[in-house]
Amino acid sequence: MAPLCLGAAALASAVCALSLGTPYVPPARLPATLGADGLAGLVVTELRLPRLVLALIAGACLGAAGLVLQEALRNPLAVPEMLGVSSGAALGVAAPLVLALTVPLGLQPFLALAGAALGGLLTLVAAGFGRSPSAVLLTGAAVAAALQAGLLVLMVMADQLDLQLIYRYLLGSLSARTWDDVTGLLPWLAVAVPALVLCVPVLGVLRLGDDDARALGVRVERARVAALGIAVVLIAPVVAVCGPVAWVGFLAPHLARRLRPDGGAAGWLVRSAVCGAIVVLCADQPARLALAPVETPVGAWTALVGVPVGVVLLKRGRRPARNRGPLAPPVPGTPPDLPAPVLRKAER
Amino acid sequence: MTLIETVPGPARRALRAPGVRMACLALLVAAVACADLFAGRGVTPEGVREVLLGGGDPTAEHIVLQLRLPRLLVALVAGACLGVAGLVLQSALRNPLAGPEVTGVTPGAVLGAVAATGLGLAGWESPTAVVVAACLGGFAGAGLLWLLAGREAGDPEQTAVYGVLVSAVLAGLTAVVLLVAPGELGSVVQWLIGSTEGRVWQHWNLLWPWAAFWGAAAWLLAGPLTLLRCGDEQASAAGLATGRGRGAALVCAVALTAGAVSAVGALGFVGLLVPHLALAVFGADLRITLPGAALLGATVVCGADAAAQLLSRLLATALEADRLTLPVGALTTFVGAGLLMAVARRRADER
Repeated sequence: MAPLCLGAAALASAVCALSLGTPYVPPARLPATLGADGLAGLVVTELRLPRLVLALIAGACLGAAGLVLQEALRNPLAVPEMLGVSSGAALGVAAPLVLALTVPLGLQPFLALAGAALGGLLTLVAAGFGRSPSAVLLTGAAVAAALQAGLLVLMVMADQLDLQLIYRYLLGSLSARTWDDVTGLLPWLAVAVPALVLCVPVLGVLRLGDDDARALGVRVERARVAALGIAVVLIAPVVAVCGPVAWVGFLAPHLARRLRPDGGAAGWLVRSAVCGAIVVLCADQPARLALAPVETPVGAWTALVGVPVGVVLLKRGRRPARNRGPLAPPVPGTPPDLPAPVLRKAER
Repeated sequence: MTLIETVPGPARRALRAPGVRMACLALLVAAVACADLFAGRGVTPEGVREVLLGGGDPTAEHIVLQLRLPRLLVALVAGACLGVAGLVLQSALRNPLAGPEVTGVTPGAVLGAVAATGLGLAGWESPTAVVVAACLGGFAGAGLLWLLAGREAGDPEQTAVYGVLVSAVLAGLTAVVLLVAPGELGSVVQWLIGSTEGRVWQHWNLLWPWAAFWGAAAWLLAGPLTLLRCGDEQASAAGLATGRGRGAALVCAVALTAGAVSAVGALGFVGLLVPHLALAVFGADLRITLPGAALLGATVVCGADAAAQLLSRLLATALEADRLTLPVGALTTFVGAGLLMAVARRRADER
């Protein structure tokens, strides 16, 4: 039932994305308009279609990255926004804008990459590579706050015009993106997708807990850094092109788990990417149309809807988890507290 | 007090120690205030001294008396408010991670203030409306967190994480408000990060009665709060209506935070970390520690202000930029984030 609903929502949003707006193109005439000459054809093929594709790709990347992070850190709340990855990437893109440095367009993803890697690594290292899942979140919140403060300092320094620009960018927007932006994402996808395929089995092992994973021959710290690296490669180009579209990486994995509670890491990864794509596509429609001539940023909508819905899903998902087994493994810590007393007994 | 009169010797000595510490802290506040008065551009330290001794040229006099003095006072009182609010929150909720920033109070207050300003309900002509709106927003943020964390508020870290989520939603709402009224963006950015730039006597006149009233209320609640820190069973066994006491404490904390936010904006991490400092210095008796937290908060914010001014001067000369100001909030957030990271690291190692 749920997959059908999602598919219907996606289809409806796609039709909306292509036909609504000025000029209005009736859905029945869409196939004819695609690629045709004239104003309507131009608007549909050169503006609306790339925007649709970009929304799908961005959502898929963010959703997959969210799932990778959540599984690698074994924490349903470990999302890019909470780990300083998103803020780092945004800082990397916004800094040259304010400091009036001219940066070629091709370099922007690399700046975002550097910022995201900085934020994520800082969190991971300061939290001791995720031994305690809740410490990761707390550290991440601190890192994210510091990076956010850096962004705000930049905004205070900027003049009015730059300020509006940065603010729009920081909320995440898909407006006025063309095929160039979409093709700019493709090389990154070519790197990220094989890496995702390679990391799926490791993610499945990491879910068992640090000790079991180590017993099975996974070097946990290294695996976590690798997972973070993959997530950064997925997130950074998206942030460079459309800004940090917030909390998609939180909502999509939870939707995916809800769709198929007993699926493994691989099933969830695919579903999470699909859910992310659908979420961003759906959120882009109100962003385009709600305040009609003015565009609202899609990130504001995903944040406003994504966080409450994600929290509800998280709380729902937890309750059956206690009866049914490992659905979303809750705070595991170091499971066996046994050794210490046993040792003590042995000493006696 | 009766306790001290009946038990001589050690208790008396114990009292003397906090007294000495309080005096030291008061001296520190005075020193930091002086530093804040002498830091900054426009007037040389000699000029400031001349003005304070009753001389100096009119420009210097204007800068010192009309700009620096109110700024200093606002920074002191706002810091005190945040410190007390944080301590009250942490004691009432028995959660060492419950600062106003992570319980949704500060983002809520910012949202309230921004919404009131953006929608034209309040402006610099009607500053009272800003305070009221900030207060309402603060209550809304705290209420949202309570709805979310609900009764399972037992795990402090879980609650803090939920608080971050609540902050995200509130920040999203603030962004939407700013999109509706984009003209306000320039002035609101200062608010979002927390700044003491350009505070004048009007701000001070508005802030101090509010702070004095709610500060006194908080001090009257010190006894019940000390009991609440010991746990609900002990508190109710000692004859305290825990629900009512906690409610009153929360109202007090939200009001103090809202006052501070409407005056200086969202200063990061002051309300979260100052209480820990106060508890470390003065111990767990809130009758002494609450005023201590106020003094410490004032010291921290005022010192950060002075440091920020000095730093922005240094940066301006280093980068050869003519106007470059580092907001206080940025400094407190950076330092606070570092401290929080250290604390999280230590907690992780203990397990």
